[in-house]
Amino acid sequence: MESEPGSSDKPSNGMDDFETLISTTDVELLRRAWRNEKAAPEILRFETNLIDRVTGQLQLMEETVDDFVESSIDPLTVSLYQMDLDRTQFLLRSYLRIRLQKIEKFMFHILKTNELHDRLSKQEKNFTRRYSEVIGKHLEESVLLNLPDNYQSLIRQSTTSEEDDMVPEPQMDTFVVCKAREYVGPSELQDSNKSLASDLLMEMEPGELFFIPFKRIKKLLENGKVDLV
Amino acid sequence: MYGRKASQLVKELSSSEKGQLKPFNDDLFNQVIKECSSHHVGLQALFRNMQEEGLDIQTTRNADFYGALIHHLSLTRNKRCLMAYMYNRADVIRSLRWKLGRVLPNELVMKLSNSEKEFSKGYSATLDAYMNEMNLDLTVDMVPPKDPYIQVRVLDDIGEVLLTDRSANLARYSMHFLKRTDAEQYICQGLMEELLS
Repeated sequence: MESEPGSSDKPSNGMDDFETLISTTDVELLRRAWRNEKAAPEILRFETNLIDRVTGQLQLMEETVDDFVESSIDPLTVSLYQMDLDRTQFLLRSYLRIRLQKIEKFMFHILKTNELHDRLSKQEKNFTRRYSEVIGKHLEESVLLNLPDNYQSLIRQSTTSEEDDMVPEPQMDTFVVCKAREYVGPSELQDSNKSLASDLLMEMEPGELFFIPFKRIKKLLENGKVDLV
Repeated sequence: MYGRKASQLVKELSSSEKGQLKPFNDDLFNQVIKECSSHHVGLQALFRNMQEEGLDIQTTRNADFYGALIHHLSLTRNKRCLMAYMYNRADVIRSLRWKLGRVLPNELVMKLSNSEKEFSKGYSATLDAYMNEMNLDLTVDMVPPKDPYIQVRVLDDIGEVLLTDRSANLARYSMHFLKRTDAEQYICQGLMEELLS
């Protein structure tokens, strides 16, 4: 685990432990998680441990900055530490915001699919439950209850529909740009539909950029072998 | 012509500017609902006809069946249009919560139906509960920060305000050097502007 150089000045020996607080690889991990989440069409797994650590570190940094301000350390250093703090906070907030947006968009699909529901954090699950009640009540009261009996379902067009056809699903065929972190052989790029596997005999060297449908690299993304850009 | 009113509703959605709401079209909405009931009545009447003639509903394919099918399809189309109308307005309401904060300006509230007002309150409450649980305000920092402190000019009299590290008197036309997170909520509401010199 190497340290990523922080954006601050090189501090004196007395402040070495403060530097380790700021320049840890957690920020880099958060940046990766944020980028992946931004580019992926469906919601990815919530990085509980990472977010917990980052929140703890942010709090520590805030206290550090407050201490600095009080003990009147050089204001340039203070503002640099502050900027680092702000940037990390922005990453965290943006990460949570993107996830919330995906939840709101694909609400009913997530509630239906256990695999996706398991990817949410505890607070997100609460949010999903409450929000589905709010929007369900709103749609029911204004539209559905005024319609004739067989047409009152929120997720089906009518009781004669064979499946839940009013639930929007994320587009898994969207093309995404990705970069491999390790060597990826042709066998790992297979679709679950085996008959199509024969047309995709390609391999990915680490560091190369690829433009590929999301569903092909879904598994690789989960294993961490591939990053979205 | 079946479905014309419903498509008018949807066209209204697409003709308004992105992020803006027109007043809730109660009239047209109720007309579409009435059309749905009449479709349903027609549908049932045709099915009754078929039953009286002793035909099996599931398998017979005569004129009555096709008439009933048209009623059913128009009904589902109306339902889709109505749902789309409500859902897209709900989308706009949600984005307004992120842009404008908890209290929506009056001229906006007047454009909403009762159910939409309930929805916007419910959504705001849900969002607040989530932010409380996470102990983080998610509505600030919408743009990547360039500087931790920014210069602002106050446009409206806000008065004495308690900021993160000190309190300030935000009188009209005064300029301040504030923390970005503090200033953002006022900038969103239009009470301050950022000085980009």
